[in-house]
Amino acid sequence: MSKNSIENIIALSSDLRWKIGDDFHDGLAEGIYADASEIANGSISIDNETPRFRLDSKIDKIVTSKTWGFPIMFLILGVILWLTIIGANYPSSMLANLLLDNIHPVLKSFATNIGMPWWLDGFLIDGVYLAVAWVIAVMLPPMAIFFPMFTLLEDFGYLPRVAFNLDYMFKKSGAHGKQALTMSMGFGCNAAGVVATRIIDSPRERLIAIITNNFSLCNGRWPTQILIATIFIGAVVPASFSAFASLSAVIGVAILGLFFMFFTSWALTKTVLKGEVSTFNLELPPYRPPRFWKTVYTSLIDRTIIVLWRAILFAAPAGAVIWLISNIYIGNESVATWTINSLDGFGFLLGMNGVILLAYIVAIPANEIVIPTILMLTVMASGIVGGAGAGVMFELDSVTATGDILRAGGWTLLTAINLMLFSLLHNPCSTTIYTIYKETKSAKWTTVASILPVIMGFVITFLVTQIWRLF
Amino acid sequence: MNTYNPIYALLLFFVISFLGYLLFRPRKGWFWLIKNNLKSNEKIVIEDVLKHLYHSENSGKEDNVNALTRALKFKDSIIVDVIKKMAINELIQFDGDILKLTNSGRDYALRIVRVHRLWEKYLAEKTGYDKKEWHEMAESKEHELSNEETNLLATQLGNPIYDPHGDPIPTNTGKMADVHGEFLSSLGVNTVGKIVHIEDEPDVIYKQILAENIHIGSQIRVVENNNQRVVFYAEGEEFKLAPIVAANITVAVLEKDEVVEENIVRLSNLKDGEIAHILGISKESRGDNRRRLLDLGFVRGTEICIDLMSPMKDPIAYLVKGTSIALRRDQASKILIKKD
Repeated sequence: MSKNSIENIIALSSDLRWKIGDDFHDGLAEGIYADASEIANGSISIDNETPRFRLDSKIDKIVTSKTWGFPIMFLILGVILWLTIIGANYPSSMLANLLLDNIHPVLKSFATNIGMPWWLDGFLIDGVYLAVAWVIAVMLPPMAIFFPMFTLLEDFGYLPRVAFNLDYMFKKSGAHGKQALTMSMGFGCNAAGVVATRIIDSPRERLIAIITNNFSLCNGRWPTQILIATIFIGAVVPASFSAFASLSAVIGVAILGLFFMFFTSWALTKTVLKGEVSTFNLELPPYRPPRFWKTVYTSLIDRTIIVLWRAILFAAPAGAVIWLISNIYIGNESVATWTINSLDGFGFLLGMNGVILLAYIVAIPANEIVIPTILMLTVMASGIVGGAGAGVMFELDSVTATGDILRAGGWTLLTAINLMLFSLLHNPCSTTIYTIYKETKSAKWTTVASILPVIMGFVITFLVTQIWRLF
Repeated sequence: MNTYNPIYALLLFFVISFLGYLLFRPRKGWFWLIKNNLKSNEKIVIEDVLKHLYHSENSGKEDNVNALTRALKFKDSIIVDVIKKMAINELIQFDGDILKLTNSGRDYALRIVRVHRLWEKYLAEKTGYDKKEWHEMAESKEHELSNEETNLLATQLGNPIYDPHGDPIPTNTGKMADVHGEFLSSLGVNTVGKIVHIEDEPDVIYKQILAENIHIGSQIRVVENNNQRVVFYAEGEEFKLAPIVAANITVAVLEKDEVVEENIVRLSNLKDGEIAHILGISKESRGDNRRRLLDLGFVRGTEICIDLMSPMKDPIAYLVKGTSIALRRDQASKILIKKD
């Protein structure tokens, strides 16, 4: 074709483009959809005998009603969380008994018998094995209870109704109603919560949900909250109220997390996420009886096992690091002692201490090992009698004894409050960080999601401490 | 270690956060101001002068140097300097003390206008920025894009003819579609027309129009027009505007013999129990949002009714093609229906 005729064609096409105008593409798209629906209407016969969803719409009228919508929702979530936390105690202690109290000594004596050098046995058994065992004991039972229950609700079709009820509140902070679901999932595990944000198909709202998921207290943090609240908050009030006081403190922290979630969502939409595309739609599928065994099976395989496996992969090196920093000496001091001393000043400003900060640094892989690490480091740093040796994490069966060790380490009510706040507001665990990266494929948003909560934690604990010290 | 005064610590903290706020607050933060000042070079002043003269000439106004210095936000000395240089480079010429664009100046101005409107179109279609921000962002972007980048952008957007406000976008050869229409403030009672353009300057008036939720492309009928107010019906709702606000809306008058769809209503006006048919999606619904709605079956002719109200009455779930789909109020207001 000669150059001339090509130019003619281009000229003709741009000429035609002007004639058909801007509406052309829309008209074409609508035409295709309209034709398709006409063809479908002609060839599909709908059984009119069963008026759609008679039972469905009855359920819907109740679960989305003004009076019953919210109470039903909170009741269900409350029951699930309660069952998870209380129910997980028994299998957790059985696992701990098996893995920590029985297998661990057996491994140790086996190592001695075959003449393993002390450093190799410490590194492998006290470090790596103990961290992995701990994570399994604390993490597996709650997840194995929480995820199947949550997935059953999902399968039944109730969860989209929750999103529907709550969307108005989430819209105010620029988020999607489905974020209510990913947040609830975050109460089980933040990594699973981040994966669950796949249900949000609007890019901006999905990023918000990913970044703010960490403000849901996860299974790894509930025990910390409960333990510290029982020891320190419960002790402030008369004994008859102590259970109530510590419970309210824990719930208060969880609600504070929700507040920070809304606030951060709002701030993100107004600033860094302003330019991301935002859409909304929410399908309310018909209810259906959940396929019980299939659901339980897939939730165990897809959610529990995958998350647990990732946690183990990250916990193993963490255990090694914890053992190493306590057993490698620079001059007369171990690396751990040295770090604790240099962090103490900053920790004091935040109303905490070097031990807590170091524990949160080495326990980035899993929130579950924060308390054992703190106990081990406290014993080591303060030189009191107890524990299982340098670099060997431990936990005590008795809450009072745990409290005694912490008080001997210089803990006060202020330390406890700040630890509870910092446990809520700190970087996500490395499993979650890795998951965020896998889901967003962006180093930028992963960094934001990791750094933002720590900064908020520093600011909040700092302010609380200064105001506390004023009075 | 325990001997510091918490008051000092608090004070220091607040001073630092206040400084941080002053430096980095959106737009007016010192950091951004300094950054923008470093960028504001001669090129930007030249292009802004050209654009201002172009718009003045199009609306039949005449500008002298004084008017320019008043209209543009640069130092007077810089503007005077730049005007001299532009006269030497034959971008502008003096007619007495009136400034006029030369042919090459007009071409240059058209290129700037093209980038500005293309960028607004881009922001509307491909990003989530709010309408209120498009203009200002395009104001700075228009100085940055090169010719090739502009053409590439135009191709990616499918060579659009109009920007989201209804202004025509010049092609790379300078060709531009016409906007036929009259200002809403000048229309007689009972005129039927279609909104084809909403002016985005000045900002104050534009924000008023946005607050009223008036949509481009919607069909209107004027019911009252005097020097107090302009009242018109559009999409089942009544709007009252001050004449000065109405003057910023351009309406293409529809002739009697043109096909006029009566009783167009926004989906947000549908009540529980009513059944309607979808007429289409308003032009205000753009980009991904629009495509999602089409995907879900919100197309012309589909039957629609309310399935469920959420406790707060927003969102509302609609029954479309046998599926219950919840939409927020602002989305529903951009879907046009005809009640049965």
